[in-house]
Amino acid sequence: MSEKSRFEYVREGAKTRDGVDIVYYEPNLPPGSKAERRMVRLVAFMLLLSGLAALIFVAAYIWWPFTDFPATDGWEYKPGNSFMKGYTPILGLSLGLALFLIGFAVLIWGKKLMPHEIALQDRHDGGSDPEERKLTGNTLAFIGEEFGLGRRPLLKVALLAPAAGLGAAALAVPVGMLIKDPHNPDELFRTGWSPEANGGKMVRMMREDMTPIRPEDVSIGGQITAFPMTADGLGATNKYADSPVLLIRLRPKDAEFLRSQLHHHPVNVGGMYGDLVAYSKICTHAGCPASLYEQQTNLLLCPCHQSQFKITENARPVFGPASRRLPMLPIELDGEGYLVARNDFNGVPVGPAFWEKPAA
Amino acid sequence: MLTRSPAARKVTAALRMLAALVLAGGIYTLISPSAQATAPLSAAAQEGKALYDTSCISCHGNNAQGVEGRGPSLLGVGSAAVEFQVETGRMPAARQEAQIERKQPLFDDAEARQLGAYIQELGGGPEIPFAGQTAPAGDIANGGKLFRVNCSSCHAFSGGGGALSSGKYAPTLELSTDRQLYAAMLTGPQNMPVFGDNQLTPEEKYDIISYVQNLKSDVDPGGWGLGRFGPVTEGLAIFLFGMVALAFAALWIAGKS
Repeated sequence: MSEKSRFEYVREGAKTRDGVDIVYYEPNLPPGSKAERRMVRLVAFMLLLSGLAALIFVAAYIWWPFTDFPATDGWEYKPGNSFMKGYTPILGLSLGLALFLIGFAVLIWGKKLMPHEIALQDRHDGGSDPEERKLTGNTLAFIGEEFGLGRRPLLKVALLAPAAGLGAAALAVPVGMLIKDPHNPDELFRTGWSPEANGGKMVRMMREDMTPIRPEDVSIGGQITAFPMTADGLGATNKYADSPVLLIRLRPKDAEFLRSQLHHHPVNVGGMYGDLVAYSKICTHAGCPASLYEQQTNLLLCPCHQSQFKITENARPVFGPASRRLPMLPIELDGEGYLVARNDFNGVPVGPAFWEKPAA
Repeated sequence: MLTRSPAARKVTAALRMLAALVLAGGIYTLISPSAQATAPLSAAAQEGKALYDTSCISCHGNNAQGVEGRGPSLLGVGSAAVEFQVETGRMPAARQEAQIERKQPLFDDAEARQLGAYIQELGGGPEIPFAGQTAPAGDIANGGKLFRVNCSSCHAFSGGGGALSSGKYAPTLELSTDRQLYAAMLTGPQNMPVFGDNQLTPEEKYDIISYVQNLKSDVDPGGWGLGRFGPVTEGLAIFLFGMVALAFAALWIAGKS
């Protein structure tokens, strides 16, 4: 069946059965002309580039350094450029370029390589009979032929590039998430307060400027954000980002009340030092710093989703989406009168829930 | 044993009596409340007492001892707390509610300081260490670090304030003077935690004050800071304006083809 006869089928069927009158039809560029070949090459070039950009996305997702602390940036944010800071931009740029190019290629294909056509159609009611469906099938096949993939093998090959690239890009994230095992090493259950981070000795509490904290440094109704004074000196950096605690000195009668409540949450018994109490600063809902301390109402608020924890009731969540208590860091004094953590939150993991996290 | 004449014994007894009377009177003078009331107040404190007795006494009571159910005792709160509460118009408060808000102050700064002097001389407590309106210049960069650790969770990174529980909120720092910032950190008004001198040294407080004042003097590029509230307002803005722009772009494309 030649192209001509198929077109006649289409025009005849459209006119007599569908009431669609094709009043104007001509190829955009003369088939086989120089201009057409140029457009084909342009579209193919864009498709190839799109595939390349998608492959760059996959390669960057896998190999671009984003956790190479401290080799590139150290454990603390430093101004200036480094490869690590390019991670997110390179992902966005490459994927954006891949999608933009494939879109642009399709636009040019439609504008320059598809025939010009004007068709008029009256509305009709009801479904179509088998004969009409046969005509429709031929019409669709004709449209497929109009793309000219048979005549333009370069485009057929070029289309494989974005298909492969974008397919891999779409798979990269879900597959990537299955590869890393969070329990090796088991960092979800360990923070910088573990004596392992300090050569087996109990870890001192320190300010962000690495000065240790004495009990009298916290005013009544006052708070200090405390970091673990680990042996490697990186306690206040991103290496121990899950470790900060809020050290609070309660008013004496509030502290008395909390002491009377500790046995309701037995893991906290003996965790206070005098009127001082330390809770993990990492919200148990989504991991934001729950550090808005209301000293009159004894509430700890999380600014992200408005969770509220009652300090004097073992940091029980009283409002908002959080459903677990903030873990209490058991504290005492060391030989030189500085505050230390007796152990690592009594083994209670900090932060948001995960599958294996025990109920608390 | 030495014997004395009756006359000598009478003289000795009279002297003992006199000594006892002087001792009793002296102790009474030292410990009686009226003795405190007559302890000399400085001129500023006397002015402050006059203001106190007309505007504060109904809730905070005679001699700042507090009135059950109306107002707390002010003994020991110090002049810093008084100056903060009065200068920002929070005191005198009209009524007790979730939050006592900043308003047009009833007293000027000089009167606030006189009230502060009076309360300070009554019961002692934290004081603002610098005399003038402006704090000694501090290290802005270090202040920024301390602000982000200690202040930004409630007052937001730009000092714009934010919501707390049950209708309370952390106020904006937009109107705060150096003295008010210092006094707030030192005394922890309302639900704000206290940052005593062991926690943030006076120098660190100056650093924070310099940072906050520097932050406030920043201009907003583009002219509209969106309250500097961050991603929520910016997201809302781009949603409203960006979506409208996209809708018009779609209309334009449809019109062209």
